[in-house]
Amino acid sequence: MPPSHDPQLLKGVLSLVLLQLLAERESYGYEVVQRLHEVGLTDVLEGTVYPALSRLEREGRVSARLVSSNSGPARKYYRPTPAGYDALTTGAASWSSLAALVEGVLTRPVPTEPLQGD
Amino acid sequence: MTHTLTWLDRLRIERLVWALDQRLYDLPRASRVAKRREVRENLLTAAQDIGTSAAVRRLGGGARLASEYRSAEFGDEPRHSWIAAMLFAGTVPFFVNWALGGATQAFAQGVAAAQPNATGTFIWSGIPFIQSHVTYTVVDGAVRSVGGAWTPLLWALWIGLTVLVGRLWRALPMWKRRRTQPAI
Repeated sequence: MPPSHDPQLLKGVLSLVLLQLLAERESYGYEVVQRLHEVGLTDVLEGTVYPALSRLEREGRVSARLVSSNSGPARKYYRPTPAGYDALTTGAASWSSLAALVEGVLTRPVPTEPLQGD
Repeated sequence: MTHTLTWLDRLRIERLVWALDQRLYDLPRASRVAKRREVRENLLTAAQDIGTSAAVRRLGGGARLASEYRSAEFGDEPRHSWIAAMLFAGTVPFFVNWALGGATQAFAQGVAAAQPNATGTFIWSGIPFIQSHVTYTVVDGAVRSVGGAWTPLLWALWIGLTVLVGRLWRALPMWKRRRTQPAI
């Protein structure tokens, strides 16, 4: 069973992950969810992803186009805009920097008892 | 694609989509319709893939989804509510007119009680500030009244309170922003 992830942690970086996935391949809502599950983010639900895509669209970071589907109504495919690519570059650098800092702190050895203050 | 959708599955999906739609009435029409279509299409695809029950469950409930969509559309700042404004504007006149009508009727009944066979014209100034004067024409105890309308102050109060209840002043910056970002 894959480990569950803190929803608050995920929420902070979800838009970044979505931008990365859409930059790799233009996708529609449910396809994005499937791709998130493929990379291990199995606890991200459709009800979180669809509004997140909508928010990115409102912010002008992704654009959408309707493509007719054989299995039903037309699908709405998303792809990053130039502003989305900028946000992805900036966000990825920021995340790497933060992750490196947090990793550095969290990998320090922990004493059995906290050291006493002065 | 492993599941074949029955008409019952499609009905379940439609019910969720329309329940969501009812909660998105604060959104611009084009955006609301676009979201409705997108959720329906995604639900149909998901239902064919993992089954309708799982697809509906994974959407996380119409109320929560609608709330997320409203935040996505308007941002996280406090929002206006057209529904609250319309509900207030539509129901309050009913109760106000009922109360004003009651007061008008009470004066007429007072006239009839004092002089059962009265004939003449009476004028009541109405409820101060909110009701215009009422003219009663009495012929052998039969009373007809004219007047008792809302005063300009009451109209202004009604409009002002509608704006207040719906926090409609918050719609102005959102409307300006939306003009530059049309919905797909």
